[in-house]
Amino acid sequence: MTENASPNSALSSGQTSHAGASIVATNMTKVYGSGDAAFHALGPIDLDIKPGEFVSLIGPSGCGKSTTLLMASGLEPCTTGTIKVDGKALTKPLSEVGIVFQDHLLLDFRTAMNNVMLQQEIRGLDKAQTRARADMLFDRLGLSHAKDRYPRQLSGGMRQRVSIARALVHDPSMLLMDEPFGALDAITRTQIRHDLEMLWLETRKTVLFITHSIEEAVGLSDRVLVMSNNPGRIVEEIKIDLPRPRPAHLGEYPEFSAYAERIYKIFAKLGVYKF
Amino acid sequence: MPDHALTKVVAASPQRSLWHSVDRLRQSFVGSAIIAVLSVAALLGLWELLAWAYDVPRWLFPRPSDFLNRLVTDWQMIGHHALATSVTILKGFGLGVLIAVPLALAIASVPALERGLYPVIVFLNIMPKTVIGPILIVWFGISPLVAALIVFLMCFFPILVDAISGFKSIDPRLFYISRTMGASSLQGFFKFRLPAAMPHIFSGMRIGVVKAVEGVIVAEFIASNAGIGFMILQASAYMDVSLMFAGLIAAAIVALAFNSLMSIAGRILMPWANTAY
Repeated sequence: MTENASPNSALSSGQTSHAGASIVATNMTKVYGSGDAAFHALGPIDLDIKPGEFVSLIGPSGCGKSTTLLMASGLEPCTTGTIKVDGKALTKPLSEVGIVFQDHLLLDFRTAMNNVMLQQEIRGLDKAQTRARADMLFDRLGLSHAKDRYPRQLSGGMRQRVSIARALVHDPSMLLMDEPFGALDAITRTQIRHDLEMLWLETRKTVLFITHSIEEAVGLSDRVLVMSNNPGRIVEEIKIDLPRPRPAHLGEYPEFSAYAERIYKIFAKLGVYKF
Repeated sequence: MPDHALTKVVAASPQRSLWHSVDRLRQSFVGSAIIAVLSVAALLGLWELLAWAYDVPRWLFPRPSDFLNRLVTDWQMIGHHALATSVTILKGFGLGVLIAVPLALAIASVPALERGLYPVIVFLNIMPKTVIGPILIVWFGISPLVAALIVFLMCFFPILVDAISGFKSIDPRLFYISRTMGASSLQGFFKFRLPAAMPHIFSGMRIGVVKAVEGVIVAEFIASNAGIGFMILQASAYMDVSLMFAGLIAAAIVALAFNSLMSIAGRILMPWANTAY
C-alpha cells in the first residue's frame, strides 16, 4: 500500500493512515431474483478505479448506480463477473470502507460524537486514537461545537457532515457516497462539496461518488462515468481536467460548461430528458 | 457553522413579564405540581361547601373531609391494598414487556411469523380482555395472580404492536453500515435495533401502563382477594361509601405514580427524545 497522503497532513501524521484502495471490476453484472421474475439491474460493466481516485457515477434513476456501490463494498455479491478491491476478490462485506447515504442514517439516540465513535466501539479500535481522529474530522468539517448534540438538534447539512465523519473516522481505504448531498439545499451543497474536496485532498481516499447532479460530478471528480439504464451500463467515461481545489462557482471555468454540455448531450442521446 | 446564530439571538432576548413567569412556573415540574394541588383543593372545597349547604346525606354521598379522613384513619388497610394493586400492575406489566418485546423482534424479523401470527394477535387484541377472567378463575382460583394475568393481557398488545412498528421502522440501509463495521448480531441488536426501536417501544409501554392501571381495578373486582378493586367491592357490600371514595383516591394515586414513573424512565432512557430542537 502506498502512502499517498501528504506528509504534513494532520489527519495522517502520527498514526498509520490508509491510502486509497484500487477497485477493479470485470464483466460485473447483477440480476435480482430468478426465472420469470428476474430483473437485470446492472451490467456487464467494467471499472478500473485507481488508488486515491475520485470517481463519480452519474445517470438516470434506476441505472444501477447504487447497486454498483453496494457491490463495491461487498454488501451485494456479483451475479456474474468479478470485483476486486486492492487485488482481492470480494466475497464478504468489506470493512475498510466508509459509506454515506442520501439520508444521514445517524442514530437518534447518540450524540454526534458518539455516533462517530460507534465505529470505535464496534470495531474495537483504540479509543484515544480514534477520538483524536474524530476531533480532527469534526474540526475539518466545521462541527467542533456540535459534538454533544443529538442528530435532531442539527441541521440537515450538519447531520450529513457527521455521517461523513463517521465514514472516515476508522481511516478506511475507500469512501462510498450514494447521493450524499441530494437532500441538501443548493448553498449547503456547494459548501459541503468544497469541504469534502479539501478533506479528500488531504487524505486521498478512493472515492466512489454517486450523484444525479452534473455540477457535483464535474465539481468533485477526477473521472465521471455516465450510466444508462435498463440494464445499467457505463456508456461514457469523461476525465475531468480542472485544477483543484475547484471554486464555488464552477462556471468560472469555460471547461466546466464544456464538460457539463458533454454529459447533457449523452443524456439527450439516452433519452433521459424528454423536452 | 452559522446555523446557531439565530438560536442565540432568540435565547438572549429578555423576558421578564409576569405572564412569562407564570408560564415558566407552569412548565417547571414543581410549578405544575403546585398548580395541580391548588386546583384540586379548590374543587374539593367547593364540593365540601355545596354538600354542607344542601345538607346531602353523608352515607350516600360523602364529603371530601369524610373520605380524606378515611385515607388517614385507615391508611394501613388502604396502603396494604394499594401495595397489592401496585404489585399486581408490576407483575402483569413486567410480564407484558418481557414477552412483547422479544416477540415483536421475532415478528419484525421473520415475515412468515408475521403473516401467521398477526391475525391471531389482532383477534386477541380486539377481544375484551376481562371476559377471560372467569376462565382464569376456574384454572387458578380467585387470587392476585389472575388479576396480574388480566393486567398482562391488557398491556401486552399495545406494547407488542408498537414494538413491532419500532423494529420495522429502522432504515435497512443502517444495517449496511453496521455490516461494514463488522457488527455481530448481538451488537446489531443492542447498539442499533433496540435503541432505535426504543421510542416506539416506550410509547407502547406508556399506553400499556395506562391500560394496566385501568384494567387492574376491574381485574380485582372480578378475580382477586386483595387490592384496591377488591377493597372497593367489599366496601360496597357494607355500604361504606366514604371508603369507596377513599379507594377511588388511592387508585388515582397509584395510577399517577405509575404514569410519573414512566415519564421519569423515559427521560432517563431516552435523553435525546426530550432535548430542545
